[in-house]
Amino acid sequence: MNLVRSELLKIRTTNTWWIFALISLPLWALTLLFNWLQTDALTSTNPADVGDQSAQFEAAATPDAIASNLFTSGQFFGLMIIMLLGIIVVTSEFFHQTVTTTFLTNPHRTAVMIAKLVAASVLALLFWLVTTVFNLIAGSAVISAVGLDSQLGNDAAWRAIGLNLLAYLLWAVFGVGIGVLIRSQIGATVTGILLYLGGSIGAAVVIAVLANRWGDWINNLQLLVPSLASSLMVTGTDIPGNPPRWAGAAVLIGYAVVTGLVGSLLLRRRDIS
Amino acid sequence: MTDGQRSPTSDGQIVVSGLTKQYKNVRAVNNLSFTVAPGRVTGFLGPNGAGKTTTLRMLLNLVTPTAGTATISGRRYADLTDPLRHVGAILEASSAHKGRTGVNHLRVICAAAGLPKSRADEALELVGLTPAAKRKFKGYSLGMKQRLGIAAAMLGDPRVLILDEPANGLDPEGIRWMRGFLKNLAHEGRTVLVSSHLLSEMQLLADDVVIIAAGQLVRQGPVEQVLGSMAQGAQVRVRTPQAEALTTALKAQSATVTTDEHGVLLVSGVDAPTIGKAALAAGVELHELTTERPDLERVFLELTAGKAGIR
Repeated sequence: MNLVRSELLKIRTTNTWWIFALISLPLWALTLLFNWLQTDALTSTNPADVGDQSAQFEAAATPDAIASNLFTSGQFFGLMIIMLLGIIVVTSEFFHQTVTTTFLTNPHRTAVMIAKLVAASVLALLFWLVTTVFNLIAGSAVISAVGLDSQLGNDAAWRAIGLNLLAYLLWAVFGVGIGVLIRSQIGATVTGILLYLGGSIGAAVVIAVLANRWGDWINNLQLLVPSLASSLMVTGTDIPGNPPRWAGAAVLIGYAVVTGLVGSLLLRRRDIS
Repeated sequence: MTDGQRSPTSDGQIVVSGLTKQYKNVRAVNNLSFTVAPGRVTGFLGPNGAGKTTTLRMLLNLVTPTAGTATISGRRYADLTDPLRHVGAILEASSAHKGRTGVNHLRVICAAAGLPKSRADEALELVGLTPAAKRKFKGYSLGMKQRLGIAAAMLGDPRVLILDEPANGLDPEGIRWMRGFLKNLAHEGRTVLVSSHLLSEMQLLADDVVIIAAGQLVRQGPVEQVLGSMAQGAQVRVRTPQAEALTTALKAQSATVTTDEHGVLLVSGVDAPTIGKAALAAGVELHELTTERPDLERVFLELTAGKAGIR
C-alpha cells in the first residue's frame, strides 16, 4: 500500500499527467465530433438504401449501438494516452535513473511492479471517469439533437461504458509491460504508438484484404489485434459478421496478463547498473 | 526474520565473502572477500574499472552475484525488513526526476518506505538544502544534487552508510563539509563505506581501507597499518653542497643512497637523526633534512601497479 501511495505521488509530483490530460482533451473532442456526424448519418439514412450491408447497418443504427458509441467517445485516442502513461510510469525511472532509489527503498521487485500496475490502473480509472462524465453530457446532447429519447437508462450503453473501463485498465497494464520490455523512454513510446496506430489501421487493412480472398472467417482474426479487440468490446450490440464482444474482452485480458507477467519476471532478474 | 534473530556482534557490520560477478566477457569481481566495521570510515579504493561499483551494487541487491554473498548486519539486503531504516546508500548524484522538486523527491521515498513525511524536511535541514527544497531538481548544482542524495540516504536514520564516489563534482568547500559529515556519522557508531579514487581525500577521511584491483582484493586494514606495511618506503630527503662526502659517510652506516634529478639525496635504511649526526661528524653542511612518510597514493600505486586500467 505504501508502494502504491509512493507511485501515485511520483505521478502527481511531475507534469506528465496533466500534459497528457491536456493532449487528450482535443482528441476526445475530435472523436466526439466524428461520432456525432456518424450518428447523424445513421439516423437520417433509410436502411434500404445501403443494399447488402443493411443487416450490419441496422445493428449499428439501433439506439443501443448509437448510445454505446457516443458514451464511449474518445476511446481510440484515450486508450493510446493511457498506454503511454503506463509506459512512462516505468521508463521515466530508467530515464531519470531513479530506479536505483526505488529498488533500494524496496528490494522486492515484484511488489514494485504490482504497485506500478495498480498506480497506472488508478490513473486509467480517473481518465475513464472524466471522459465518461464528459461523454454522458455531450453524448446526451447529440442524442437529443438527432431526435432520439434520452439513453441514460439504456442497459446496453452502460455495459459498453463498463467494458470501456475494462479497456482503459487493460491498456494501462499493456503500457507498463511495454515499458519494462523497452526501457528507453523514446523507444518505448514510439513502439507503443506504432503498435497502437499502425497495428489497428494496418491490421484492419490486411484483414479486409485477406477476408476478400479467403472468406469472412478471417474477419474473426481482428480479435487478435489488441486495439481492434478493445473497440469491438464497446460496440454495444453484437454486429452480424463480427466476433462476439466477450471474445474481445477475453483476448485483451489474455494480453494484459501475459505482458504483466513477462514484465514482472524480467524486472526481477535484471541487473540495475 | 525478526530483530531478535539479529546477532548483536554483527550489527552494522558488512561482510563480503567470495563475491564474484561474471559478465559476458569480463570477470568484474573475482572471489572478493572483506569486512567493514561499524564506528569507522572505510575507504573502498581501486583504479577505474576495478569493480568497486559492481561490488557495491551487489551488496545492495541491484546486481545479482554470480557467486558468493554480501551481507549487512548478517543479512542480505533483500532480506532486511526495513532497508531504509538500516542502510542508506548514494550511488549516483543525478538520480532524481528533473521535473520534481527536492522535497517531493524525498517524500516519494518516504511514502514507499513508510516513513513520515516530516522526515523529508528534517533530512533537507540536515544537509543544508532547506532553501532549495521547492526548487526543481534540474535547477540544482552538482553539489546540491550530492547533498540531496545524502539527504535521501539519511531519511531512515540508518546505521550503515554506503556511498559511491560522493566527492565527485564537489568544490573544496563541499568536500570539506562531506568529510566532517561522514566522520561525524562514524563517530556516532555508524558504519560508513565510501568508494573513491581520490586518494589524498581518503587519507584525510578513512580509518580503514579496502584496496581492490582487477576485481580482486589487494589489501585491507587500518590506514596506518597499510602504510606501515610499506615501511621500507620511508626515506629521508637530504640537500647538501657536499653530496659525495655525505654519501660515503652514510654508506659506511649501511644506508642506501640515491640521487634524484635535482641532486637531492634520497636516503633509506637510516633515520634523520642518524644522518644529522653522521653529517656533523664528517663536517658536512646540510640545507635540508626531511623525513618522507609513504602516503596512500604511493602505496596505492605500488599495490595496484600493472593491475589498473582497461580489462
